[in-house]
Amino acid sequence: MNNILTLTNMTMQFGGVVAISNLSLKVDDGEIVALIGPNGAGKTTAFNCITGIYTPTDGSIFFKDKPLLRIPTYEITKLGISRTFQNIRLFSSLSVFDNVLIALHLRAKDNPLSATLRFNYKEEKRMREEASILLEKQSLLKYKNEIASSLPYGLQRRLEIARALATSPTLLLLDEPAAGMNPQETKELTEYIFQIRKEYNLSILMIEHHMDLVMDISDRIYVLDFGKMIAHGSPKEIQNNPQVIKAYLGEAE
Amino acid sequence: MQLKNKNKIRNIILSIILILIVNGILSFLQVNKSDYYYIISIIQRSLVFAVIACSMNLVIGFTGLFSLGQAGFMAIGAYVTAIFTIPIERRPNVYYINGINDYLANIYIPWPIALILGGLVAALFAFLIGMPVLKLKSDYLAIATLGFAEILRAVIASPMMDRITNGSFGLKNIPGFSNIIELTIISAICILIMILLVNSSYGRDFKAIREDEIAAEAMGINIFKMKQLSFVISSFFAGVGGGMFAMFIRSIDSKTFQVSLTYDILLMVVLGGIGSFTGSILGSFLVTASKELLRFFDEPFLLFGKIEVSLFRPGFRMVIFSILLMVVVLFFRKGIIGGKEFSWDKIINFFIKPNHKKKDEESI
Repeated sequence: MNNILTLTNMTMQFGGVVAISNLSLKVDDGEIVALIGPNGAGKTTAFNCITGIYTPTDGSIFFKDKPLLRIPTYEITKLGISRTFQNIRLFSSLSVFDNVLIALHLRAKDNPLSATLRFNYKEEKRMREEASILLEKQSLLKYKNEIASSLPYGLQRRLEIARALATSPTLLLLDEPAAGMNPQETKELTEYIFQIRKEYNLSILMIEHHMDLVMDISDRIYVLDFGKMIAHGSPKEIQNNPQVIKAYLGEAE
Repeated sequence: MQLKNKNKIRNIILSIILILIVNGILSFLQVNKSDYYYIISIIQRSLVFAVIACSMNLVIGFTGLFSLGQAGFMAIGAYVTAIFTIPIERRPNVYYINGINDYLANIYIPWPIALILGGLVAALFAFLIGMPVLKLKSDYLAIATLGFAEILRAVIASPMMDRITNGSFGLKNIPGFSNIIELTIISAICILIMILLVNSSYGRDFKAIREDEIAAEAMGINIFKMKQLSFVISSFFAGVGGGMFAMFIRSIDSKTFQVSLTYDILLMVVLGGIGSFTGSILGSFLVTASKELLRFFDEPFLLFGKIEVSLFRPGFRMVIFSILLMVVVLFFRKGIIGGKEFSWDKIINFFIKPNHKKKDEESI
């Protein structure tokens, strides 16, 4: 199995605060890996380091043998890492269709002049077709002309994933995809994640609090607490790990 | 599908009819120039400002960059156009105090090329100051660009520039447009290019940056490059608009391009609707026309032909104008158009809404 993402001894400090210390983590080809831990454990910070929003203070990040440190975010997306956000960040006053079209632009061959004068009409047509196909597959096509922010919450999450898929990633980072969902929706999401992994040959790294989702879906789990990794292993191992139970439930007095 | 095509053809026909009507009105005004001099000048001014307001809307409304340097870029375009289009034999007359720079003295450029050149020089300046300035956000960007425009104005008026810009004496004898249709066509072309840009894949990237920078960058958009692109293109059209402005008012000096000019343009953009070119065009016509048409408030007014109303005196017009503004801002938060664009479909739907909507729903 090929290594897709490798973090080695990554540390992220904000002034005196150590948000993440010495995190080592890897995602293999086709795996679904979950990153869990109490609030403020540094999970989202880890995502921000991987996608280049923060530059880690120490350590290294490799994506398919390519170092990611100091590469700007948009380049990292081009390399094939795409993400969703904890608090949905859609282009909220644009249409559902435009949201996906924007994400498709990074693989398009055009320049401002050809785009303005519509010399790129073939490219544009291809992008529109691709966007339609993508939306169709995520069963969002009937909402294509709706304004993104007018969609119900669950569909907004789905659209965010669709938009991330439009950049044709090999690694998808999902930041709490099930946040705010009821058990039924969470169940559907589980199915959905399996389905997109298969369809787009993805590896997935996700942050999640819904334990039933995490246990159902992940091949491996990493547990963070106060910036340190306290455990890692298969869902079964994690479930019975005393340290993890302590971090989540607190100690018996 | 068939319905769609039918509508498309209908829209094209309607557009052609509209263009013909506008053309007819303009030709009529042009022929009877002497009778309608006042109206023509209002329309010309509005057309010039429509281009500039659209260019400002491109950065503020579509890319979400609160830039207030428009007057500065206009000044660049205006001066470049003026310097190269003043007839050579008249130049000694214009630069009567300090004389003209020897290199410039004998270069004459026809005005269409001079306009483009003015735009390009403005774009070059935008590119250079964009590099440091576009790293700033919202209010800070506004202050920095405003500062740039003021510095530029000071430079233009400085004694060191006397032999190029004629310093504080300004430039006059700038040739004007020979007729109003010429001006209409140029301003239509400028606005059309901006509309095409905004509706292209790059325009979508601009809007994405406006909506959410972090998400835009995560979707592979090089934010800085796109901001730079939008800023440079906007400045290009501000420069062209500035050149057109110079040709419209025939004489310019550095005081023409004060901060208040930027505010006037901002007013048109906000009044019409941020993020809508239709709004900017409408805004520029409304602001220009109402400033003129309200002039009767400045003249003495006799109630019932006897009692003189003391409020009606020079300056009262601006009070009324400001009150109207406040009313518009209070009742139309998003501007008159509210971020929407003109389309035939919307207008027709508006008039035959009840039956049409039902049909639409059934067909879906």
